[in-house]
Amino acid sequence: MTVLRGVTLGAQPWLRRPDRVIGDPLLLLAAVLIGGVGLLSLQGATRIEDGGLSDDVARQSAFLAVGGVVILVMRRVDYRLLKLAWFPVLTLWIGMLALVLVAGATEFGARRWFLVGNYSLQPSEFARIATVIAIAAVASSRDATPRGFVFLLLGFLIPAGLILIEPDLGSTLALAAAWLALMVAWPLSLRGLWAIAATAVAFVPLAFALAVPGYQRERLAVFLDPQRDPLGSGFVLRQVEVALGSGGVTGRGLEFGVSALEGLSTRNSDFALAQVGEQMGLLGTLTVLVAFAIIAWRGLAIAESAPDRFGQLLAVGLTALLVVQALLHVAVNIRLFPATGIPLPLISLGGSSMIATAAMIGLLLSIAARRQADPLERWTAARWD
Amino acid sequence: MNLRFLALRLSVIAIITLLGVQLVRMQLVSPVPAPPLATGDQPRILLSDASRGLIYDRNGTPLVTNVPSYVLRIVPAALPADQTDRQIALVTIERESGVPVATLEAATRQPLALIDPTAPIEVGTLPDVTEAIRLRAVLAAIPGVEITATPQRMYLGGELVAHFIGHVGAIDATDVETYLKNGYPLNATVGRSGLELVFEEPLRGEPTRRLVVADPSGRVLSDLSELASRPGADIELSIDMDLQRVTADALNAAIEAGLPDEVPGRAPPTRVAAAVAIDVRTGEVLAQVSLPSFDPNVLNDGDRPALEALLRDPTRPLVDRTYMEAHPPGSTFKTLVAYAALEEDVATPETKVTSTGAIYIQDEFDPSVTYVFRDWAAHGTTDLYWGLARSSDVYFYYLSGGYRSGGVTYFEGLGATRLADYAQQIGLGTPTGLELPGETGGLVPSPDWKEQAVGDAWFLGDTYTFGIGQGYLTVSPMQMAILVSAIANDGSVLQPRLVRGIRESDELVETPRIVAAQLSNEGDSLAVIREAMRITAGPGGTAWRGQPKGLTIGGKTGTAEFGSPYPDGEFDTHGWYIGFAPFEDPEIAVAVYVEHGIGSTHAGPVARTMFEEYFNLSETAP
Repeated sequence: MTVLRGVTLGAQPWLRRPDRVIGDPLLLLAAVLIGGVGLLSLQGATRIEDGGLSDDVARQSAFLAVGGVVILVMRRVDYRLLKLAWFPVLTLWIGMLALVLVAGATEFGARRWFLVGNYSLQPSEFARIATVIAIAAVASSRDATPRGFVFLLLGFLIPAGLILIEPDLGSTLALAAAWLALMVAWPLSLRGLWAIAATAVAFVPLAFALAVPGYQRERLAVFLDPQRDPLGSGFVLRQVEVALGSGGVTGRGLEFGVSALEGLSTRNSDFALAQVGEQMGLLGTLTVLVAFAIIAWRGLAIAESAPDRFGQLLAVGLTALLVVQALLHVAVNIRLFPATGIPLPLISLGGSSMIATAAMIGLLLSIAARRQADPLERWTAARWD
Repeated sequence: MNLRFLALRLSVIAIITLLGVQLVRMQLVSPVPAPPLATGDQPRILLSDASRGLIYDRNGTPLVTNVPSYVLRIVPAALPADQTDRQIALVTIERESGVPVATLEAATRQPLALIDPTAPIEVGTLPDVTEAIRLRAVLAAIPGVEITATPQRMYLGGELVAHFIGHVGAIDATDVETYLKNGYPLNATVGRSGLELVFEEPLRGEPTRRLVVADPSGRVLSDLSELASRPGADIELSIDMDLQRVTADALNAAIEAGLPDEVPGRAPPTRVAAAVAIDVRTGEVLAQVSLPSFDPNVLNDGDRPALEALLRDPTRPLVDRTYMEAHPPGSTFKTLVAYAALEEDVATPETKVTSTGAIYIQDEFDPSVTYVFRDWAAHGTTDLYWGLARSSDVYFYYLSGGYRSGGVTYFEGLGATRLADYAQQIGLGTPTGLELPGETGGLVPSPDWKEQAVGDAWFLGDTYTFGIGQGYLTVSPMQMAILVSAIANDGSVLQPRLVRGIRESDELVETPRIVAAQLSNEGDSLAVIREAMRITAGPGGTAWRGQPKGLTIGGKTGTAEFGSPYPDGEFDTHGWYIGFAPFEDPEIAVAVYVEHGIGSTHAGPVARTMFEEYFNLSETAP
């Protein structure tokens, strides 16, 4: 047997058709459900007089279609190839992150995007996946020693730092959560985990004083006291509350009079959940929440039954990244977290987020397609195959 | 290992439960008081305009400002219900404000008042703030009376800049959809013409957004919140108001001097003139005057009789002659012909042509027929410098059409097609790209064009008239100013711009310098043209009247015939003058157009006055 960087060649025919066509039907189903809810919501919010499709709906449909193709391709590719390629992939995206700070387009005071013709590319979406791949690759071939930990910490801090100074606090937090989940699953010793927790607690005031820009501080202050700035950020938070409240249990319908979110430029992105809540009520929001819970459940299950350690850690990291981002978005929308612009995966308008999410789901399916059978699968196999 | 996964699972479950509970709380248990939908009450966004940006000249002189206008309004539903009380109230209003009871009664019965009696209706405007305060005090006891201040545009620049500043007004019916799409309310005041229209977006800023709960008739029930406005950006023009004023005065004098006597049976001559001054280094428009002008406040006030008089005026004061209309440039066009001839090696500066006062061309097919093309004088033998300086027509007949006689070619000319190419390269025939609506491109004729548009073949005579800037060729003063700038700055055809920059919160975002085209300049032929124009503006040249004391300039006159001939065979003429200064290191180019006049006699002094003002020569000159 030839051994290359810890991966066994020969025994693993990488591009062989995996045993399962769809690695995890339930996970895919949940993702499709969320995407469908998002498209419906967008169609209702951007309706136009003559009943045709708005530009936004056309774009989002195109992104969903591209996302579908990405899922189909990624689930077919053996994820173990990434274990070999993590270094160039991470270097490429760190380079892109550095480049966007210099040459990116400025919007709402942040440099997060490259403009490519009519489209914009947000490198942080892909850089976060590259970071998770890198951490999983390195962690899977090292024991949980202090030295290894320092290495993994650096691998996280460099991209996270670059994303934080864009500034994009939401994306950074989701990445931090994914990294923490990877440390838990590595498994880093309990002492190590306590050390991380203690450092984090100690660093919060310092980071707040040094790294948090003025507008974030203001947002935090408004979060704690919405009356503080009723004309600015408080306006948005207030509208989001009204939108969710007026949706009630069953919602106001996809198309109704004037939305409480009317005029908010971020209604289809940073406040997508509030919009779903206004249109489809508690039923809509809980559907989305439960669907993400299913993704979390299936993601962790895929990790537990993964054929190797890399697959296991990769599944944990990707699941955490995807789910924590969704939960952060929900938390912001229901005023449990200060306002930070973070899109809801599969629902918020935007190509980079959609394609990055599709890539994550595709990778999870690729791992699932190669895992050992588990009880659920034996149950579903009888019905779908 | 499994313990670790259990911990991860439990954290996810805990967080999702927390979020779910909060969702249930916000959407089911205690939703934020939403507008009661059952009664048809709706949340609404009310917009109120931010203060519109101001417009300044290059020295910071305000040209447009906002002044409060005080308006008396009544709310029909709020007036006393009892007939006697109501009558007393209306009479009191009449006594104090001078608005007749009949007007007030009519206002309460107009359609809008019947649909929504709570909507305030304007019944009169108040002269000033003192009157507004007094009325507010004396009418305070009467319910249903409102005295409010609304901002109104005041055009301080007046007639001097009326054409390009433009005006504001209600949204036009044809543009309603576009404005509504861009978030304007139906009753918004928007830019309707000139810079007010073109720069509507930066001038407007962001309106205040008030989120309110309103009942179906639109009455505000409660305020939810308000989003502050962003004031409109100020616009800084490249115009120099001093130069603008001096130019307008000089043009008025030129109109009077150039006006021919009225002849019975002929349409009376029009008092029209225009002038443009451009910075040849940047393309900034320093002065842009079109006469006759009008009072821009007339468009704003809704003063109907004055407005109708303006629209019926036969001299069409609303048309900006600097860029909306084109006329034959006459001999000023010879500068371009000379440049084209040098570039194409049709002529050198030393090329000599003799003018005996006319050129005679035999018909190619019928030698007994001879056509005569006159020169305005017999200039004798001249080289290119003096051909331009004396404005010899025969010299430029040669350069443009050449000279053939008896089957022998004595001089090979440019030909109409090549000449048209050069005219187009320097921007004639297309709008210059000035940031104003309705710019004309003028017309550069060519054999192909004539065949299609006139349906006739192109003759040698057409080339000759083209070569001296007459016939089909038409240009605007703005285009001529750009043409001179390009000669002066070694061949950069600039895009003129009136707006130096947009000032938003003390930061001036400057308009970029745009080079529309770069002319070829082989053997420095543009320097030859500049030298020829210097001689033209010197002693013995036709353009000497544009030359101020103490400054060397380059200049060229033009006098183009138009209209129908007088009984003695003479025509009415347009007078043109183009020039640049200083000769050594050009800064400014001017183009002057006087609808009735002679280039040298009437347009020339205007150019001189403009140079004197720009270079501050009037006080220092002896």
